[in-house]
Amino acid sequence: MGDEVAEKVIATLASVKRIPADQINLDSDLRQMGIDSLDVFTLLFELENAFQISIPDDDVRSIKTVNDIVEGIKKLLAAAPPKPDAPPPDVPPGSAAPVN
Amino acid sequence: MPRRVAITGLGIISPLGLNLADTWKSLSEGRSAIGPITSVNMSRVPMKIQNGAEVRGYDPLQHFEGGKEAYIDRFAQFSIVAAREAVRDSGITLTPELREQGAIVCGSAVGGQAAIEAGFEDLYVQGRGRVHPLTIPKTMANAGASHISMDLGIAGPAYTISTACSSSNHAIGQAFHLVRDGAADMAITGGSEALFTIGMLKAWEAMRVIAPDTCRPFSKDRKGMILGEGGAMMVLEPMEAAKARGAKIYAEICGFGMTADAHHLTQPAVHGPARAMRAALGDAGLQLEQIGYINAHGTGTPGNDPVETRAIREVFGPHADKIGVSSTKSLHGHALGAAGAIEAVATILALHYGILPPTANYTERDPECDLDYIPNQARAAQVEAALSNSFAFGGLNAVVAFRRV
Repeated sequence: MGDEVAEKVIATLASVKRIPADQINLDSDLRQMGIDSLDVFTLLFELENAFQISIPDDDVRSIKTVNDIVEGIKKLLAAAPPKPDAPPPDVPPGSAAPVN
Repeated sequence: MPRRVAITGLGIISPLGLNLADTWKSLSEGRSAIGPITSVNMSRVPMKIQNGAEVRGYDPLQHFEGGKEAYIDRFAQFSIVAAREAVRDSGITLTPELREQGAIVCGSAVGGQAAIEAGFEDLYVQGRGRVHPLTIPKTMANAGASHISMDLGIAGPAYTISTACSSSNHAIGQAFHLVRDGAADMAITGGSEALFTIGMLKAWEAMRVIAPDTCRPFSKDRKGMILGEGGAMMVLEPMEAAKARGAKIYAEICGFGMTADAHHLTQPAVHGPARAMRAALGDAGLQLEQIGYINAHGTGTPGNDPVETRAIREVFGPHADKIGVSSTKSLHGHALGAAGAIEAVATILALHYGILPPTANYTERDPECDLDYIPNQARAAQVEAALSNSFAFGGLNAVVAFRRV
């Protein structure tokens, strides 16, 4: 695909929903894939960590396809590139319950 | 006219087994599940508590699809797993009418506090600016009841009762009354708990009530309780409906009593538990002599066991010596808000199979604990009726009565 952002979004979505990545493409409609609002919140949370961005609530409401997410992230990255000194997220927060 | 209420389905996931058959096998063989805690990274902070009774070998992916397990805290997962087994076991057909008004009443003391603890780790330890987006619905104590409702499509009264270590018995008692009084034609009730986190262990450690080795209820050398986890659920139906559909009936749930000590935050009292036992007997219309088994609260703390013994003596008088009294917490640990549900399953199966599960790890008679505690070996005995005791911090007591059918 040659598009790192798209690849990362699809890989994250596949991981969140436990589905094969090759069943997802940019035109995939989230609702038709059985992705509900809770899945979207979890996906955006993982993507915020992966890209070290903050996705505004207003941007979330218009998401319908995988491509909507990819384009939204690209815009956010262009507006505020990740700080070079920010530590890379090592453990997926929350989901892995690192307390234990 | 109040209806009689049958128990037609049981489901359980416990340290003793991942299902009903395995759990009963361990209970009836007196095999304790207490051992070194492995689900928590115990090397992160100095920890006095070393042993617990954990649910081992549980794989959420065998029960939940599409990544849903990440949205449901372990305690609520246990409630769903147990409820599914109980409904399957009951053989009940969930008609539109039953779905419409069936009740779900669950108990949990700490709910999904593990989920919020994971969020605190992210914030305060890892220095991250965000927590898992489902921290709130994972943490809420009613998650167990809500998920059972959504999972099974049951849409009547559904709620969770949180009264510390009495939670499940309060829940079971309330569900019993809903069915007995005609407010519901079916109920799923029980409780679940999952408490093994560093924060929770340290909080219990600070209470100084946890035994360093194992749980030895009523034994002279007892040193405290051992924490446990798990979930247990039962299906309640009007006796006539259960008989009409030819259901297997494990036992009858026939009485419920609840009281408060109005005494002390943590110290047990005799009068509150004694009044709760009397209330359960009165609610059931049972005579003292009909009770042949009591599944004791029996935490194994120096404080609880002699006080509970005195309460049983006060209620039953000379008949107390003829009652088998065991604390199965010696086998499955103290699962707080799930304790009553796990112990209800033990009590119901004891009546059903005519085998009284033992008090494990019992080594030495204590003059202050002078009842028949069924030490270490299960006992074959067909008893007519039984009580299951739960007494909570805060002085809240709940006792459920069951009768063999």
